[in-house]
Amino acid sequence: MTYHRRKICRFCADSNFVIDYKDPRTLRMFTTERGKIIPRRISGNCAKHQRMLTVAIKRARKIALLPYTTSTLR
Amino acid sequence: MRHYETVLILNPELGEDAYAEKLKKFGGFIEKEKGIVIKIDEWGSQNLAYPVKKFERGFYVRIEYCGEPGLVSRLERETKIDDAVLKYMTVKLANKVDPEELLRKERQKAEKERPAPEETTETAEREAAVEERPESPQEVSNHD
Repeated sequence: MTYHRRKICRFCADSNFVIDYKDPRTLRMFTTERGKIIPRRISGNCAKHQRMLTVAIKRARKIALLPYTTSTLR
Repeated sequence: MRHYETVLILNPELGEDAYAEKLKKFGGFIEKEKGIVIKIDEWGSQNLAYPVKKFERGFYVRIEYCGEPGLVSRLERETKIDDAVLKYMTVKLANKVDPEELLRKERQKAEKERPAPEETTETAEREAAVEERPESPQEVSNHD
């Protein structure tokens, strides 16, 4: 078994790093190329911030700041 | 009073005058319904992440206001009727707020930004976002 270093939640580590649905640039860091939300086990976010993040991403999608999927475009 | 914000996406093909007129209309509507407009933020024309009503771009506007619970449904009815609005979303920022205090804070922020508008805008906006962010804003509506 390989040992993986436990990643730290970036929102906990840096309090200036806020989750806001109006800021698609930050949210994009937590979605895949195709627009899917990156799971917690990969991004290393804590449960609390991942919850806030998913809500923010879903809101951003609703007002067309983030894509639901990229397959419809290009 | 409750603290809300509504993001509107307006038709990108309207002119500056039409935007001003629409904003005045919605601002007036909020005031008529005994709400208080805190801030109107124009983000300008932006690319949409996906086409909305066949438009690839949209003119974003954020309206921050205070009001009683019934106001949102009436405002959204109004936005639904208006065909310049492509999409809208309302988020509740806080349950109980003092609108006077928010207005005062907004004015202070505006004054702070005035002396050095070029360099500080970015950070000031960041700070503003932090301040405006409450613990857990709940989505008010889910219309698409």
